[in-house]
Amino acid sequence: MNTDFLDAHERHWEDAELLSESARHANADHLYGVAAECGLKRLMCAFGMGLDADGRPPPGDRLHADGIWDRYEAYRSSHHLGTGYPLPGTNPFSDWDVNQRYAHRSGFDGARAGRHRVGAEHVRRLIAQARKDGLL
Amino acid sequence: MTRFDEILPKLADVLGHHAQALALMAPVIVNRDLNGRVRLMVDARWADDAENAQRLNQIAADLYGALGPHGYPPERGLLFEGSLEQEFGRGRAFPLPGVDGVHVVDRLATDTSWSSITPPTGGPPRVVFFSIKGGVGRSTALAATAWSLAEGDTRVLVLDLDLESPGLSTALLPEDRRPAYGIADWLVEDLVDNGDSVLGDMVVTSELSRNGEIMVVPAHGQDPGEYVSKLGRVWMPRVTDTGVREAWAARLDRLLVGLEARYQPDVILIDSRAGIDEVAATCLTELGASSILLFAIDGDQTWSGYRILFSHWRRAGVVAEIRERLQVVGAMVPDTGAKEYFDRLRERAWNVFTEELYDEVPPGALAGTEDYWSFDETDLGAPHYPWAIRWRQGFAALTNLHDRLNQIDPAEAQAVFGPLMEGVRLVMDTKQEVDS
Repeated sequence: MNTDFLDAHERHWEDAELLSESARHANADHLYGVAAECGLKRLMCAFGMGLDADGRPPPGDRLHADGIWDRYEAYRSSHHLGTGYPLPGTNPFSDWDVNQRYAHRSGFDGARAGRHRVGAEHVRRLIAQARKDGLL
Repeated sequence: MTRFDEILPKLADVLGHHAQALALMAPVIVNRDLNGRVRLMVDARWADDAENAQRLNQIAADLYGALGPHGYPPERGLLFEGSLEQEFGRGRAFPLPGVDGVHVVDRLATDTSWSSITPPTGGPPRVVFFSIKGGVGRSTALAATAWSLAEGDTRVLVLDLDLESPGLSTALLPEDRRPAYGIADWLVEDLVDNGDSVLGDMVVTSELSRNGEIMVVPAHGQDPGEYVSKLGRVWMPRVTDTGVREAWAARLDRLLVGLEARYQPDVILIDSRAGIDEVAATCLTELGASSILLFAIDGDQTWSGYRILFSHWRRAGVVAEIRERLQVVGAMVPDTGAKEYFDRLRERAWNVFTEELYDEVPPGALAGTEDYWSFDETDLGAPHYPWAIRWRQGFAALTNLHDRLNQIDPAEAQAVFGPLMEGVRLVMDTKQEVDS
């Protein structure tokens, strides 16, 4: 299947919201992270990141939300329109890890998922802005 | 083939044909993106309304047909947003002429739009010195004005915001008295929450001060350091950890507020970058200036430049928010043929102000009344009536201005800069009256 970071960003966000409404915090937390990752990768493409024939980013950029936040900054800073697309300097996903999907649900709560939801919302705002600016 | 300047008329034509349908879905926004391509933006609830969705698709198709490369194919020609209200708050929205209820939101690659006008601040008056063309003696006039005000007991804070061509501080401070840091340093440090580390060492009092004080904030410190690298970052917006975005103009305003609190000036004189530039836009429209001095020499370039700016304000519908703060300054008025030169300058200024900024006064009505903001050509108090600065060789170069001001004869300064100095005092008095 073809890579579509934009759609992936949106569907992961939508599903995270559904799970969050049902207090399914563990999987909502996971999906907020994936939603942020996909959204940032779509913006990185707009700022010059190329994908290989399989739709994959360069090896150094095959990261999840905890790592891609800082990589995004590198792409944004190299594009003249990047000044309009800043993220907070502190990565809200610094305590998020994709392997936490193997963890027990008791390790997750609403506060934790809420923090990561805020991080995903930052990305959603930039995606909405990019759409209006004609970058997407 | 449609070109950029034809977008708005064609939009008005197409959307005018759909005015009834659009009125039902108001508010409606025309989104003109960074590439100059246009899409309609409407409330998300219309996407699920079959009848209106069909209408919108037809409008999107018509727009694409009319705008071609400046439009989007119909399947991508619509944006559905949950909240349109926030789009109006960005300062780049203006009504589409000829179609009620439709606004254009313009996305620009720059952070400033020249059309987001901040009302005058509540603190000491901020007076901006601006010229559409460089090399007209603007910085020199600012230095002389600061000197004149400080001959009295006025505390003057002077900011060199001609960041790309700094030099004002040279006129007011000898080389060995420059502070360690300047405005560019603060703007760069502020991006990493480190502004306070330079704030206390970026202001120096000029020894030209007599009874009052001239406090100078240069563009850069004594050692400019990596000035070009800093300059490339000064207009970065800043984002807090909570995601709140602060544009560079707001950061600059925060610096001014901090300097006001720390140094308690009676007036702030700001030397702006010349031309239609990012820094100039901020100085003129976003720092809450009480007065904006428009330096002008007589010539086609001057007036075509000011006309571009004024007509932008008129199209953006913000003329009334800024025009009362404008004042033309006639720079470098020559001794030879001074009257003819001045009369020509005044006439051309009046023509541009009348066509772009003044209200049209119907026959039988009076100009200058509450109903019609307009002035006769010879009205001494009109914003187009130039405050004249006489040309003098001794004041021509900033490099030796410090020495020149140090030995200046007050009568000579008055002869050259008199109307400007008196005008700025009047701005201060008026602000004081308004505030009290």
